[in-house]
Amino acid sequence: MYDYIIIGTGPSGGNIAHNLFKAGANILVLEAGKLMNKKTFPRTEADTSARLYWGGGIEFDTDAKMGFLRTRVVGGTSIVNQCLLDRFDDIAFNDWKAESGVNWFTNEQLAKHYDTVEHALALHTFTANEMNRNAQLFTQSCDKIGVKWGYLRKGQSDCAQERGNDCMACLGGCHRDSKQSSYAGYLRDDIAAGLNIQTETEVTQIVHNGNTVTLHALQQSKPVTFQAKNIVLAGGAFGTTKMLLQSGFKKQLPALGKNFSTHPQFMSFGLFNEEIHAYKGYFQTVASKDPNLRQKGYKLENVFAPPISAAMLFSRTGAYHQEIMRNYTRMTCIEVAVRDENAGEIKVDNKGKLTIDKPFTAQDRRRRDEGRELIANILTNEGAKKVYASPFSVGLHLMGGSVMGTDSAKSVVDPEFRVHGYKNMFVADSSIYPNAPGINPSLTIMALAQKLSDQLIGANHGI
Amino acid sequence: MASNYLSNSALKAINRIGDMMIPRNGEFPSFSEVGGIAYIDDLVSYAPPADIKDLNLLLTILAFMPNFVLRWLLNRMENSMESSGPLAPIFRMLDVGLRGLIFSCYYTEKIPASYTGKKPLDIIGFDLTRVED
Repeated sequence: MYDYIIIGTGPSGGNIAHNLFKAGANILVLEAGKLMNKKTFPRTEADTSARLYWGGGIEFDTDAKMGFLRTRVVGGTSIVNQCLLDRFDDIAFNDWKAESGVNWFTNEQLAKHYDTVEHALALHTFTANEMNRNAQLFTQSCDKIGVKWGYLRKGQSDCAQERGNDCMACLGGCHRDSKQSSYAGYLRDDIAAGLNIQTETEVTQIVHNGNTVTLHALQQSKPVTFQAKNIVLAGGAFGTTKMLLQSGFKKQLPALGKNFSTHPQFMSFGLFNEEIHAYKGYFQTVASKDPNLRQKGYKLENVFAPPISAAMLFSRTGAYHQEIMRNYTRMTCIEVAVRDENAGEIKVDNKGKLTIDKPFTAQDRRRRDEGRELIANILTNEGAKKVYASPFSVGLHLMGGSVMGTDSAKSVVDPEFRVHGYKNMFVADSSIYPNAPGINPSLTIMALAQKLSDQLIGANHGI
Repeated sequence: MASNYLSNSALKAINRIGDMMIPRNGEFPSFSEVGGIAYIDDLVSYAPPADIKDLNLLLTILAFMPNFVLRWLLNRMENSMESSGPLAPIFRMLDVGLRGLIFSCYYTEKIPASYTGKKPLDIIGFDLTRVED
């Protein structure tokens, strides 16, 4: 009988597993994906999609207009994201408080947890001489137009830029262990020290027995069962919500599955006469940091996409497609990330498959269109001959579905991270986000996980 | 060329559709010339068995479609983002699924040694540097 079983190893589960393991708790960590490391992460874009993501690369909403990227690997999302780590601002927390009734959603209340996480990881704020040409053009144009921008802060230790390393390669897992994923930042050393982790194990049902919880799972297709005094669900918005839904908790928790948001991202590419090589070096160093855009509900990110993803985003084939791809190295790219309404719903069909309803509301569309228009201005202002706006939207930040709140009729998790009515079932991942913050969610996921860790360790007198 | 997951008809369909999406054009070789489909098992093997079964069925149906029907279908898929109606989501999913397979086998480092022409990644100028130590 374990004290705790932690399900999931992303920014939340990795942090909690690390803290409870260090505190000496008798824990088991379950992960649906495989354990990979810097030597075994995929080395091609196609292999990355196939091996690291659920659905062989992408999952869709029911209308198939939006694609979601969800990882299945030890380390979760933190393996493939850019590890951009920002604290939330007062706008985000005030909106959370208003929606949830949880009064500790403030920067002051979470400051010590942010501090702990930031202290544990190697953080780097980019500087002017680290910008590639894509970023230079973006910032020059923003300055001319009057859009405020700022350098991004990333969790990384040694990216070997002076030796020509291209960070786009780490979208399939960092081959240097520089990126501060929950694997590199927490779990790698814990696993070496004896952390009990079972991979390729997908939890299919949670059975609450009062003082204990039984988990039924498939481990490489074979049924297995585990039992613990407490469980921590850290499978992310889709994973955690799916586990609760297919275990029948919807009856007691009517809000389960609701309030899903995802910061939909729409990329636009600008074609220039000069060679840009936007995929080279640090390919994401700056973003808009403009109070006006924050107020309007969107931000601009200076990014780029590897070839297969870029080819997908242009949505065309034949000669038109080839003409675009021939100019791949002369393209720049900016995306608008919309702070979307939490109107989505996560469901499970009668075959046990996830279905995602994600209506794109009038407000979402207005924000997207304003952002696209601004991007077109930025690109043409700096000399783009042509601007291609991709019709596709991608959701990378999967949030909500098991939201936190004081009212069990409108939320799933109480302010102490317990599933309403279940004293030994905890959730602290992105599924508890009451609405879209409009800010990269990773650091706050880790800060919330740190808060829960402190709570669990404190309640057990250090365990 | 054989696959442990896809039938011969399915592989033929991928090559046919691939050549429609990426024909030989200037310095670009056609999809089938490059032969990246030889490594398709590396991609498909990670999909759930039910999805592989559905993919085989779909591709087998497409394999027997006349060219003009297939071209109409691809065109319908390509323009599906702005479409509405009950079939639109199916066309959109087909579009992303098929283009994903085709582009993954074309813009790839994994190309058979029998292909001696310029590789698509070289043509577009993609040369990623990975410093490992």
